[in-house]
Amino acid sequence: MTEQGWDLLLLYGHTWRKDFFRCLVNFNFSGPHAVAAVDRSGEVRVIVSDQWDLEGLAAEGRASFEPGFAAGLSRFITNSGSAKIAVAGKELMQSRFTSTDHASATAAVEELRRVKSPEEITLLRQAAELSDRGYQHFANAAEPGMTEYELVAEVESFLKTNGAEDNFMLIASGGTEVVGMKPPTERKLQVGDSVTTELTPQVDGYYAQICRTLVIGEPSAKQLEAFAIFEEARQAAEDLLKPGVDIADVARVQNDVFRKFGYGEYTGSKYTRVRGHNLGLHPDESPYVLEDVNYIVKEGMVVIAHPNTYLPLSGYMVFGDTLLVTANGCTSLNTTERKLFRK
Amino acid sequence: MKRGWITWDKTELPPSAFESRLAVLRQHLAAADLPAVVIYTDIWKSNQGRYFSNIMPYWNRALLVIPRDSAPILLCGLSPRVYPWIRSVTILDEIRPSQNIPLQLSQLRTEKGWTKVGVLDLPQIPWDLAVPNAVDVPWNSVRPQPDDAELSMHRLAAKMAREILAEEIPHGVDAIDHAFVGRLERRFRRAGAEDLLILLTNGATPPLPPNGSNLGQSFSLTLALEYRGHWAKISRSIVPHVPGDSNSKTELLSGPYPWEACNVADLTSGALFALHTETRQDGRRLFQGDSYWQGPNGAELL
Repeated sequence: MTEQGWDLLLLYGHTWRKDFFRCLVNFNFSGPHAVAAVDRSGEVRVIVSDQWDLEGLAAEGRASFEPGFAAGLSRFITNSGSAKIAVAGKELMQSRFTSTDHASATAAVEELRRVKSPEEITLLRQAAELSDRGYQHFANAAEPGMTEYELVAEVESFLKTNGAEDNFMLIASGGTEVVGMKPPTERKLQVGDSVTTELTPQVDGYYAQICRTLVIGEPSAKQLEAFAIFEEARQAAEDLLKPGVDIADVARVQNDVFRKFGYGEYTGSKYTRVRGHNLGLHPDESPYVLEDVNYIVKEGMVVIAHPNTYLPLSGYMVFGDTLLVTANGCTSLNTTERKLFRK
Repeated sequence: MKRGWITWDKTELPPSAFESRLAVLRQHLAAADLPAVVIYTDIWKSNQGRYFSNIMPYWNRALLVIPRDSAPILLCGLSPRVYPWIRSVTILDEIRPSQNIPLQLSQLRTEKGWTKVGVLDLPQIPWDLAVPNAVDVPWNSVRPQPDDAELSMHRLAAKMAREILAEEIPHGVDAIDHAFVGRLERRFRRAGAEDLLILLTNGATPPLPPNGSNLGQSFSLTLALEYRGHWAKISRSIVPHVPGDSNSKTELLSGPYPWEACNVADLTSGALFALHTETRQDGRRLFQGDSYWQGPNGAELL
């Protein structure tokens, strides 16, 4: 704050994006809004918009409840007497909560969040371990005739029973007609389906992700051929990922594998979104692993590299682990077998 | 993000309901001489976009643009690969890929010749999506009262919450809160709940997210349940509720968010809301609550 000339830093969260708030005050508020404010002395004050959140925060420092959040926040800012105010998460704020007088601290705080502390890595390991167990439950529960949303209900129940706060999860099932993933539908699983999932449990604020594909029945030759390409791409990313590498190259080496096999067109935005992303208090943090995103990887980052895309061989397929960047490379926080699962 | 079943059953929520809502909105636009209104929507601030189109951008955000004289247009960052799914669960047909939503809106305005547009609840639009040359269209002016379809859907949500919880709550006695939440997640999601949030207390605090505590013999929980885009929120205690409540909490369900704390005195006619009351028994805090709408004869249970 001193370097930037900020007198007061506000970290804003709403029900969807609690991450900026939780990077300072790791409390899972019910919402819809919360702000943590820190001044140069290090004193932290919190404003919430739900009275039960206020009681839950009792041990977290000076907190207040403002049912009219906009007016309460405005009063707080005025009373702080701060000359220079910055807001992390300003872009997410309702316009009436902020003004052009407030600097955006979003990029600066995102950068601070990218390299994880030992305590954060411990939580991410716990989340990754839960994602492994969750995927095993997913694979055990999936069976022909079950709808996608019933399968997700089973996984959700397992994750919550085992302490997950939340879960980011996409799913798809079917054959070559499947071009991407979405929330679960009433479609029933059938023999021959590829069942794909990104499973991302949250433990004490932190998300870890696992991506695997499961075939109902025996995989076809084309499904096996496709999986071999995904496996080579995933391995290429993990072989490259280390401090000092440009994240764009982590995307490039994955895409090069698809190009080598003649499937380069399936590495673009028509068929896929990203080749991975950072993980932490939000399940989809920047930097994104894309060939046109340049960012030098640092030790202590936690990233998923996933070559998820559509291929005409198999339909959409997913594959990837949560990776901790170490001094000389990276290590997977997942222990789930790296294979094309079958049921 | 949403990982429950997002769907549109046209026998429950007929297309005519959306047509009527859009007609009211377009009357407002005509009266205000506005060519279109822009509605912000995301995973959690979704009530308004859902009301007019049934859109749920399940892990992202979007702008719903409703022209005065043509079909709604969705500007969203979701992949075109999921557009068929979006079309299957909404009234929408035209969807424009928008990695840069403000730019896409600007291009749309230029294309349509719209120099001035309305924005639903303009002061609430996210800072980075600020719309230039815009006029505020207050939510209350285009959704003055809930229509029959909206009430019916909220009643279904409340009924699901009440009935399943009545069966399940005995299983919480002496359970670890995480395990009980897991049990409820399974039951509600298999029954078709789109989303739910469960807060619990063993009597020492208000209902809060589970933290590994034993619920003991006298616990309460608050359940927010979304059924096909429509929320209900209830609180229940394992112990029969005793009159003489000492505290209460009121939450608006028909604003832009699934719930938002409010004062009872601020509830206007037509508001949907949850009311939770607290009482103490043997030093333990117990909570009870239900969802209501502010009808012509006062608060009516949903």
